[in-house]
Amino acid sequence: MKYRALIIGGSAGSFQIVTRILNSLNPTFPLPVMLCLHRLKHVRSGFVEALSLKSNIPVLEPCDKEQLKPGKAYLAPANYHMFVELANRIALSTDEPVNHSRPSIDLSFITASNAYRDKLIGIILSGANRDGAFGLKKVADNGGVTIVQDPTESEVKTMPESALQLTKVDYVYSTDQIIRFLQKL
Amino acid sequence: MTVTDQDFQLFIYALKTSSKYDFSEYSEKSLKRRLTKILADNKMTLNILISKIKNDQEFVEKIIKEITVNTTELFRDPQVWHALRYAILPKLKNNSVINIWHAGCSTGQEVYSMMIVLNEMGLLEKTKLYATDLNEDVIAQAQKGEYKYRFNIGYLDNFDKVIKENPYNYEEYYDVPYEKYFTIDKPSDTIQMCNMLREKPIYKKHDLVKEGNTLYVKFDLILCRNVIIYFNYNLQSKVFDLFHRNLYDNGALVLGMHETILGSYSVKFQKKGHAYYKS
Repeated sequence: MKYRALIIGGSAGSFQIVTRILNSLNPTFPLPVMLCLHRLKHVRSGFVEALSLKSNIPVLEPCDKEQLKPGKAYLAPANYHMFVELANRIALSTDEPVNHSRPSIDLSFITASNAYRDKLIGIILSGANRDGAFGLKKVADNGGVTIVQDPTESEVKTMPESALQLTKVDYVYSTDQIIRFLQKL
Repeated sequence: MTVTDQDFQLFIYALKTSSKYDFSEYSEKSLKRRLTKILADNKMTLNILISKIKNDQEFVEKIIKEITVNTTELFRDPQVWHALRYAILPKLKNNSVINIWHAGCSTGQEVYSMMIVLNEMGLLEKTKLYATDLNEDVIAQAQKGEYKYRFNIGYLDNFDKVIKENPYNYEEYYDVPYEKYFTIDKPSDTIQMCNMLREKPIYKKHDLVKEGNTLYVKFDLILCRNVIIYFNYNLQSKVFDLFHRNLYDNGALVLGMHETILGSYSVKFQKKGHAYYKS
């Protein structure tokens, strides 16, 4: 297997896209999927249930030190940063927000990239701030595959455009292309 | 400035050999981030930081305070407080004394929340609350019981959910005024906890990693929420062992919403709802 993990970051306008991606994945998808999505501070529950409704793989909010398993999606819990530690374990933190974000997409991407190096696929979707741009650059620097949702298709362009400004990414894809790419894994 | 693995190890080693603190089994990613922040905040290179650690114990104490994460809220995660009020604490109502330990109490909001719930249940008087933290500054803040109003305004919502409403019976509503427990002063932007609550708990500086039970009592209930996320897998087991040995039989341990007992200790506790009971 060429890859060991998939990580997806998104904010405003990404919920529908993530739902479509999860709905299109084979139940035997060979990688763990980490989802780092911003959400409203006061909405602490219900998000994972909403994502689960149409997902072909289980979506869960992981516990600290939980081991990442292929074919499962791990959603960063509200108000926690989500890191990847050694031995494929998740680590959570209530450390202060980074660029007003907790979870911080940058932090999740950076730690995942340190853990999986060139075996990581990082995808940045629609969103209204710059979070994730630096993280995606790390993924590229470590030889991982980088994908950004086509800004012309994104509901909110800021996040994909910021990522594109900072990094020469491998693919600028529409949602359909992202789905086809993942289905071939 | 980026902190390399080697820098990080040097820092841990310096603390371990020159102070009474050992962070070698802390969760690496969070701690590395804290170290990066400390270097930036203090405008220091790693070499200077390490030499100060070796020669200046006061500086070490300052660093310890900067390294610890102190996030806490009044009635954080209302569903946990519902479980405490309607499932966990009622089991203790016939005890002659109830011993509760808040391990890693931070600035005390959880301790105050607990006292308010206990008082509404008529159990506060016979409860002994012990609250510990590694960071002396946050303990001082807890004892003071004064919080920023604006920052905490959202938590009044949680107060209503836990204290005024009963999630199991929507017809019940307790009209408990905030003033019963704290006064809100908008001009000075403060919430001040009342003296009755401020003076009740026994606060003590305590290191979960290095010290055993220095409170010398056993507990009916231990709360340790969002503390062990900063420990690695091995260290978590050691802390579970400490809790297990110091709980009464059937005593309860309450962890953070996204913390769980993994490994060998998982069989020594029985999970029911939001609590792990010593089995």
